[in-house]
Amino acid sequence: MADNRKGFRSTAGSLVLAAVERIMGIIDIPLRGLQKVAGRTGMAAFFLLPNMAVFTIFVLIPFVINFVYSMTGGAQIFLDQRRYVGLDQYRQIFSCTDYLDPNSCIQDGFWIAAGNTAWFVVIQVALMILVSLITAIILNREIVGRSFWRAVFFFPVLLSPVVVGLIWRWILDRQGLLNFILYEAFGSEPFNWLTDRTTAFAATIGVSVWAHMGFYTLILLAGLQAIPKDLYEAAQMDGTSRSRVFRRITLPLLMPNLVVVLVLALIRAVQVFDEVFVLTHGGPGTSTMYLIQYIYETGFASELRNPGLAAAASILMGAVLVVLTLMQMAASRRKEKKGER
Amino acid sequence: MGRITLEKVTKSFGAVKVLHGIDLDIRDGEFIVFVGPSGCGKSTLLRQIAGLDKPTSGDIHIDGKHVNDVPAADRGLAMVFQSYALYPHMSVRQNLAFGLENARMPKAEIESRIAEAARMLEIGEYLDRRPGQLSGGQRQRVAIGRAIVRNPTAFLLDEPLSNLDAELRISMRAELSALHKRLETTMIYVTHDQIEAMTLANRIVVLRKGQIEQVGTPLELYNTPANRFVAGFIGAPSMNFLSGSIAAIGREGTTVTVLGEETLTVPRPADDGMVQQAIAVGVRPQHIRLAGPDQPGISAKVDLVEGLGSETVIHARASTGEPLLAVLAGQHALSSGEDIRLTFDAKDLHLFDEAGLRL
Ligand SMILES: Nc1ncnc2c1ncn2[C@@H]1O[C@H](COP(=O)(O)OP(=O)(O)OP(=O)(O)O)[C@@H](O)[C@H]1O
Ligand SMILES: [Mg+2]
Repeated sequence: MADNRKGFRSTAGSLVLAAVERIMGIIDIPLRGLQKVAGRTGMAAFFLLPNMAVFTIFVLIPFVINFVYSMTGGAQIFLDQRRYVGLDQYRQIFSCTDYLDPNSCIQDGFWIAAGNTAWFVVIQVALMILVSLITAIILNREIVGRSFWRAVFFFPVLLSPVVVGLIWRWILDRQGLLNFILYEAFGSEPFNWLTDRTTAFAATIGVSVWAHMGFYTLILLAGLQAIPKDLYEAAQMDGTSRSRVFRRITLPLLMPNLVVVLVLALIRAVQVFDEVFVLTHGGPGTSTMYLIQYIYETGFASELRNPGLAAAASILMGAVLVVLTLMQMAASRRKEKKGER
Repeated sequence: MGRITLEKVTKSFGAVKVLHGIDLDIRDGEFIVFVGPSGCGKSTLLRQIAGLDKPTSGDIHIDGKHVNDVPAADRGLAMVFQSYALYPHMSVRQNLAFGLENARMPKAEIESRIAEAARMLEIGEYLDRRPGQLSGGQRQRVAIGRAIVRNPTAFLLDEPLSNLDAELRISMRAELSALHKRLETTMIYVTHDQIEAMTLANRIVVLRKGQIEQVGTPLELYNTPANRFVAGFIGAPSMNFLSGSIAAIGREGTTVTVLGEETLTVPRPADDGMVQQAIAVGVRPQHIRLAGPDQPGISAKVDLVEGLGSETVIHARASTGEPLLAVLAGQHALSSGEDIRLTFDAKDLHLFDEAGLRL
């Protein structure tokens, strides 16, 4: 019986194998012909073509179009109806009477958004690294239900940003969960978390940390697990205090991962938009309006829409991102080099 | 001082019992080797002594002091890990200094200790390199150096040579031996390589499945193994075990029949009740000779001949089908399939009862 089944399985297996071989043989024919014409290096180009096409259509061409838009003016959408203004849009963005005061600029919205974003980036990234580092260290311990907790902390990463925004609105609304709990526990009056400048700003930071920390925790956890246990035992034999173990062993050996996390978090924080937009709509006032929201509203949503200005703003933001990306590439290259040794 | 005593030490991981009551007295200055097959609990035992793990029950004393609850760092021991466990981001010098800095030792003292260790281990040239820039053997020296600078009461070494190639292993073995003579510090050395154990140890502890099978000097273990396991484990190639029985027990010793063919009288007493009992007769491959035409002996068929020049290794099969390995001195023109007769001296035989214990 068992033998029979095994026999059947291996026949089925060999049939599948034969079928695959046949199909591969058929695919081979045109590819062989192509290789004769294109040569070996030409084949590489051929295989890269689909990817290049997608990249060109969805990244390269839009980028060029965006650049062209940034040199045109007016509210019209179609390029042929727009007039060429050269660098006027950029000039507008940069025309301020006092460079330390966003309100003195013609495009005060851009500078307010930029200022908000800068604050957001600094605080959010610092908090993000701290929180994900602590979480990673705890999850690296032999705690009960370790895999469960790892899944829990990664879960928000899988949520759609809109869902994240909505969940937290339910929690932070005037009639939301948080006020309800506070009322039940302390009898405190409901507080409008999302319409107070400070708490709304803090909420955008907290929510975006909550939503993305799982990803960075994972990177740091991988780094922690790559540190050999022996090193800690050697340090234990050496009578090393816990804080010294952390400073002299964990931190330096985790540094490559920390740098990657830092730069990735920076890039993502500069691009903050969706979940925060759903949460606060940039309010109260403009206190949680970040750059992408400014670009989006300037280009599409406001009554006096100005696609050219939005395009120019996005190019400026793109420049910042390019710098950060170069930093990231340098960091990961350094990490690779370290790995080689 | 470095006297370490273990009393009824056991260790369980959850429901799995790994050490089953280890009693051992390690003398000051002794080079003691834990040897045994993979998974027998050698590392686990070492870790209990080191303080990296806590015994489930039993007591550990170092120089008379009960240390079960003393943290690893305060036991005055230094450990050399199989993986070396050098801090990869620190230079060799920093690696050596790290433990001493923890103890807030003055800088000058640290420097002089590093210099001394570097001189002893000839690693002075590499002090400013990182472990990643060293060869395996150099890393090994640094790992030993990191233990030496701490001036421990005992060294614990867990298979320190197993990551080195064969040649380097032999030379490092000699160096370790020299180092021990020089430092006169207790060393506890774990290995599963019985040759390492034989060459390095003052005393060997043979472990198996979390129990001590025998403790003794290398030659004690070789000459009078306490049981079949030790007999088979110590000595290379392994001892042959042939089926036999006790024919008679007399004044001059025990008369045994080997494979029903050869009868010898072994000068060793046995219980009277054991007559006619089946036993295992152990004989080392090096103690087997070719029998002359008129000599008594056992017949065997040659399976394979390995001529090594100075000696000839013969894989043969006895008439009962039991495998037999003989290492004959010199060169012998034998070929596979040939029928031969082998013999051995009564004094070289080891007798084991059915439970595997030595008679
Ligand atoms: N932390 C642990 N949890 C559970 N079981 C363990 C643990 N450490 C060791 N063991 C088990 O204890 C037994 C002995 O392990 P140990 O590492 O002491 O063996 P060893 O003699 O050093 O072997 P090797 O020669 O392969 O190093 C093994 O069966 C192992 O699976
Ligand atoms: Mg081991």
